[in-house]
Amino acid sequence: MAKTLRFRFSRGQELKYIAHLDILRVFERAIKRANIPVAYTQGFNPRQKLVFGLPISIGLTSESEYADIELSEDMSPEEFITKINKGLPEGLKVEEAVARNTRDNIMNQITAARYEIVFEVKEPKSPSEIETMIYDLLSREEIIVMKKTKKGPRPVNIRPLIYSLSAEKTDEYRFRMKTFLSAGAENNLRADLLMQAFSQETKLETETVSMHRKALYASAYNEWKDPFEVAND
Amino acid sequence: MHPLTMMQLKIDDRILLKVKKPAKYTGNEWNMVKKSLDNIKMRFAFCFPDDYEIGMSHLGMKILYHILNKRDEVYCERAFSPWVDMEQIMREKNLPLYTLETYTPLSDFDMVGFTLQYEMSYTNILNMLDLGRIPIFSKDRKEGMPFVIAGGPCACNPEPLADFIDIFVIGEGEEVILEIADEYMSWKEKGESRAEFLKRVSGIEGVYVPSFYDVSYHDDGAVKNVIPKIPDVPDRIRRRIIKDLDAVDFPEDIIVPYIGTVHDRVMLEIFRGCIRGCRFCQAGFIYRPVRERSKEKLCDIARTSAQSTGYDEISMVSLSTSDYSELPDLCNSLIEFTEKESISLSLPSLRVDNFSLGLMDKVSKVRKSGLTFAPEAGTQRLRDVINKGITNEDLISSVKLAVSGGWNQVKLYFMIGLPTETMEDVEGISELSINLIESCRGISQNGKALNITLSTACFVPKPFTPFQWEPMDDMDILMKKQYHLKDLIKKRTRNIKYNYHDARISLIEAVLARGDRRLGKVIYSAWSKGCKFDGWDEFFSFDKWMEAFSECHLDPKFYANRKREYSEILPWDHIDMGISKEFLKNESQKAYEGDLTRNCAAGCSVCGAQIYKTGICTKTKRGLVYGENTKV
Repeated sequence: MAKTLRFRFSRGQELKYIAHLDILRVFERAIKRANIPVAYTQGFNPRQKLVFGLPISIGLTSESEYADIELSEDMSPEEFITKINKGLPEGLKVEEAVARNTRDNIMNQITAARYEIVFEVKEPKSPSEIETMIYDLLSREEIIVMKKTKKGPRPVNIRPLIYSLSAEKTDEYRFRMKTFLSAGAENNLRADLLMQAFSQETKLETETVSMHRKALYASAYNEWKDPFEVAND
Repeated sequence: MHPLTMMQLKIDDRILLKVKKPAKYTGNEWNMVKKSLDNIKMRFAFCFPDDYEIGMSHLGMKILYHILNKRDEVYCERAFSPWVDMEQIMREKNLPLYTLETYTPLSDFDMVGFTLQYEMSYTNILNMLDLGRIPIFSKDRKEGMPFVIAGGPCACNPEPLADFIDIFVIGEGEEVILEIADEYMSWKEKGESRAEFLKRVSGIEGVYVPSFYDVSYHDDGAVKNVIPKIPDVPDRIRRRIIKDLDAVDFPEDIIVPYIGTVHDRVMLEIFRGCIRGCRFCQAGFIYRPVRERSKEKLCDIARTSAQSTGYDEISMVSLSTSDYSELPDLCNSLIEFTEKESISLSLPSLRVDNFSLGLMDKVSKVRKSGLTFAPEAGTQRLRDVINKGITNEDLISSVKLAVSGGWNQVKLYFMIGLPTETMEDVEGISELSINLIESCRGISQNGKALNITLSTACFVPKPFTPFQWEPMDDMDILMKKQYHLKDLIKKRTRNIKYNYHDARISLIEAVLARGDRRLGKVIYSAWSKGCKFDGWDEFFSFDKWMEAFSECHLDPKFYANRKREYSEILPWDHIDMGISKEFLKNESQKAYEGDLTRNCAAGCSVCGAQIYKTGICTKTKRGLVYGENTKV
């Protein structure tokens, strides 16, 4: 039994067309529909005490999103999972939950993310051609892309934010790219921006077929940890 | 498997990830109705001729969706105008407009229904039919094609859309839509002709089949008469109403959209109609008489709706919240559970007084930023003309009360171009607003001056109001008045932000509102030139509309800016909204005298709505008695 929980949820095809704030709202409503005794913030505009690990952009599916919730009454993680899943629509599902006891919330703990991106090329390419392109790209010290910010587009060097990158051929025109990227409040590299940089720098025309988040990580003692492992740090 | 399921479309990522807010086109929202098509005898596509975010805020759609889907053998689905980015892709890829429930093209439905909320959505109706692969003109629809049906407030003058709509429903739809559905299923079983179905429904009260009527015109362009072409169709079509709101189903399991919409909350309809009778306001006449839902029923609805949707806000809906007869009791009962559940309660169109301010402190946890007042006219004289029963003093004391209660900003709504208006009345708008700022100096909690957002709409005369005979101000006069007001305000104060409506949009609205059947070709021509989303400033094209008028040899001024005689046959005279023409004439004359008419709660003015024998008409106060013998 616990008053604060950390949970992992997945987002499927059905709900990949909505933006992060909409996902947040779906959860808030699901919590109300499921009569989960959530705690609220004080003040004029009370909000549910619910924090998400990393924004999830339109088009992205995921098997590994995390959020922290505070409750007004004790509840077991199992009961929480059963209840909230009754209030959630198809395409969102809470998979696991644990009692949490950390000073930092999940948003501050997340530092890296693993993605799988399926893309298509216009002309057939061999696996080694793509491998060479990736090798060349990763050999550079700087990869400058224009990142949309609130103050307009700005040049950003994303090279330090790419921890690993590889691709395998799945079809004549199709490749599956696997990548491990910096994520979180400070240095976030979105999967779509990485793809944009990849096409731009390699001069390879690609069309993204799907983007999927495999995992999120927190860092602790210079190691990548599962966010559940640091739920009590 | 039902053969229709074969028609389901596949809309893939390559389309959806290229458009803004793709969730507008994917459906599957919480509480969306899912049915197996196996046992469905009638498929109904409810179409809202505007963007998803507007359409999903519309209570009428939620009500009819719920009512139709309660019937096992009927499936009601939804479609909206795709936004321009999506439309472009749909046209490029040759994708038809489809419903969100089953991705079925509109052309595969038994019936396709449009709600007519505002005139400026008419071109979107044509566009949706076209995208849905349904012939735009009724006369071109063949056996086996969908019937196109329409209802809503603008149906009170259906004539401009008569060429496109097979069946109009006049008035409230909850009962009549099921009568039409029953007729449809029995007709379909018998395998009769299209014309036979239209004949069948024309016998239902409140149903108007325009193709059964001939309209002839005088040489000067005015309507000469409207005559049924075939026997047994009514000369006049009477509006349907729901007599007892408690007895009719109200949706509690409403669809919860994933993306934000304009009204993204539980809407609690507390009553229909309005007792006030402001002479410019069509809604104040065409929804009479006032009928309330009981507070017990409302509490039930509120509780169940909140539970089934997870919404954290409930908003009362009516034309004038303060006029609900048991408002304090209703609020107290609602607050009992909303507080516990962290749900906020909002009460729009509330008159400001001590009671309502106290209430607002209690119920809404929103920041004290905006309060809205609608004096509508700047001088007492003109407010009397329009029967808006408030005085400068009322307004000043309300605003002072609000400011001392912590509100620093108010919105004021006025109209420009009201009948009998002079420049003095226009200047009165700025006088009144500045007066408000001055009166509130030094009483605000934080010492700041009152800030006003002042908006003026252009007055558009509407059918079934006492001003239905009035000419609209010429466009250049409206603009002159707007600029004059703008200058005056700029010279006097920085605390007023002034917005005004595009007079050119209002002109087209005025033409369509009081138009006749001949306008069908203008609407068609405007749409062919690319007009759509005409109510949106960024898409409205005045030039295209003017070209359309000139091609069709019709003068917009004839419809908008012409004074009609009381004796003239108006294009909507064969529609009986339950408001007598004599009453409207009398109100129109009283307007010229600046003579006020009491509200329905203070006493009956015999407007005609008493024929419905329900609502406030049956409980008129102050001993005023009338019955069936009353001459109307």
